[in-house]
Amino acid sequence: MPREVDLHAVRPYADHLGDGLVQMSFTLPVPYSLAARKAAMELAAKMGFEEPEVVHYEELTEGYTYFVMYGRCVQSVDFASLQGEGFDIEYMSEDEIERFAEHNLGRSIVVVGASTGSDTHSVGIDAMLNLKGYHGHHGLEGYHAFETYNLGSQVPNSVLLSKAIEVGADAILVSQTVTQQNLHVQNLTELVEMVEAEGRRSQLILACGGPRVSNELAKELGYDAGFSKGTYPHHLASFIVRELAARLTGDRVPAGG
Amino acid sequence: MTLAQLTAAASRLALVGLAKNTGKTVTLNALLAELAAAREPVGVTSVGRDGEKHDVIDFRIEKPLVRLAAGDLVATTDGLLAASGVPHELLERTGLRTPLGEVLLARLRGEGTIEIAGPSAAADTRVVADAMLSHGARRVVIDGAIDRRAASSPEIADGLVMSTGAILAEEIEDVVSHTADAVELVRVPGLDAGTPEERRVADLIAADARASFMVDQDLAVHPLPPRFALTAEQPAIDGLLREGPAARWLVIGGAVPEAFLEKLIPSLRRTRTALKVLAQDPTRFFLATHGPEFYARAGVELLVAHPIDLRALTVNPVAPQSHEFDSARLRALLAEKIRGVPIFDVLHPSYAVAPPMMARRGAVGR
Repeated sequence: MPREVDLHAVRPYADHLGDGLVQMSFTLPVPYSLAARKAAMELAAKMGFEEPEVVHYEELTEGYTYFVMYGRCVQSVDFASLQGEGFDIEYMSEDEIERFAEHNLGRSIVVVGASTGSDTHSVGIDAMLNLKGYHGHHGLEGYHAFETYNLGSQVPNSVLLSKAIEVGADAILVSQTVTQQNLHVQNLTELVEMVEAEGRRSQLILACGGPRVSNELAKELGYDAGFSKGTYPHHLASFIVRELAARLTGDRVPAGG
Repeated sequence: MTLAQLTAAASRLALVGLAKNTGKTVTLNALLAELAAAREPVGVTSVGRDGEKHDVIDFRIEKPLVRLAAGDLVATTDGLLAASGVPHELLERTGLRTPLGEVLLARLRGEGTIEIAGPSAAADTRVVADAMLSHGARRVVIDGAIDRRAASSPEIADGLVMSTGAILAEEIEDVVSHTADAVELVRVPGLDAGTPEERRVADLIAADARASFMVDQDLAVHPLPPRFALTAEQPAIDGLLREGPAARWLVIGGAVPEAFLEKLIPSLRRTRTALKVLAQDPTRFFLATHGPEFYARAGVELLVAHPIDLRALTVNPVAPQSHEFDSARLRALLAEKIRGVPIFDVLHPSYAVAPPMMARRGAVGR
């Protein structure tokens, strides 16, 4: 009989439940040597791992050593307290999205996207919107259901919003590299505030994406959803078609009981 | 006077922080403690999130929890309500979706701390605020989030309390001047209807709040092209201001970006005339570089159809993991520049009531 998982104290799992075993790899800028191995052991101990063990190490290039280590993590997290936060969006395949949109919306969904402000990275927005897409999943441009406008990078919020109004957009997608400097965050909130000032908030789905964007951050900034690393275009598309369909039916559910 | 007394007239009160860690949640808790002591049930919603344990961007910063009393109402997500463990009665499923889940309205059956995440959109915030009032809340507090001002619009809230603090700058003078600019923006004056010109403009915006138009010195009205304030380039703006009878008013029905105001200046300098720019309310102006005073000196006078009622300013003299100012000195310097607004440090002994539960001065993140 498998042991039951204690969801209040979840640890990494390798051989048996709760053993806390972690495999990690990293590189140190020191020459390949026994001293390098010792340094890795000490570092892992400082990270809080018990019984650290170097299972593999090799010279990466002159003066750099690459390590693979095991260690036992003694910390745990209370998974039970985290459940229920956020939507568990059921992702649809591209075919399912097309069928869903045709059946529930019956018209093209207009999406305008850009990297805003001083952000020069357009990789994220290109991956989501352009036909070429990313990792073999083509972007929204390749769907029948979507009509897309990719404005590129360094786009002022006022220009992005103006375009969205001009083409009657259903959704605005912003890509932004959020750092601890508040600049990027301000740029993201400014768009939300401008949409409000133009009286368009209820007509526009606002989604943001970037390496550090989470649903928690999206909520704080006033977006309808936040997408981070590991997001494929069909994830974003699933969210947009479902959210738009829900808004068009204007569902309001009375309290049960 | 306490915050509760000062804000009693606002049945929907908005709280806005000028940056993270300006003590907005501490202000909220002080107000909630005063209302709990007066046994006045309050409803709380947040356009962002409040009461979370850690800062969403800098995980090292610990945040204060939001403490509510039995009988208080909340608008928050199903998951956060369940996670709080506070006994409650479900009043309404709103059907409003946020990235953290659907927003529910509940009445607490016991006291406790709870993370609050209500609807994000301003109009939805008004809907849940009114719903909580109809469910028995004597007043509602709308907690803002960083740089989110839309919920303090007079369309949504009846009054505003702003929070500022040492986190804004390393020099106390800079904290004071940034704060003064922000206060000045919030207090952009309303339109008087004294002169025939003002009455004409008042009639026009009463007829259509979303319209954008120019009124010239002969009181003739010229509609502006669509999305003019968002995207007009310099030549188009120069053309508007330099051709025909002199422009006296620009009335903008939506957002007024700073770039637009900046582009008005060259023509006004050349013609040595002044221009009034009127928006629906102060949340429609997007100023990052200069305050309203700068534009006034350049000949651009900002006005609004619906002013915001700023009830108080609260101060956090501590910047987490950085620096700290003397609370009394910071308040005195602010009071010199900002007239007519009560200024508090709710954790300082000078404040009328110091709720004992929040006596965590110096703890990182307030």
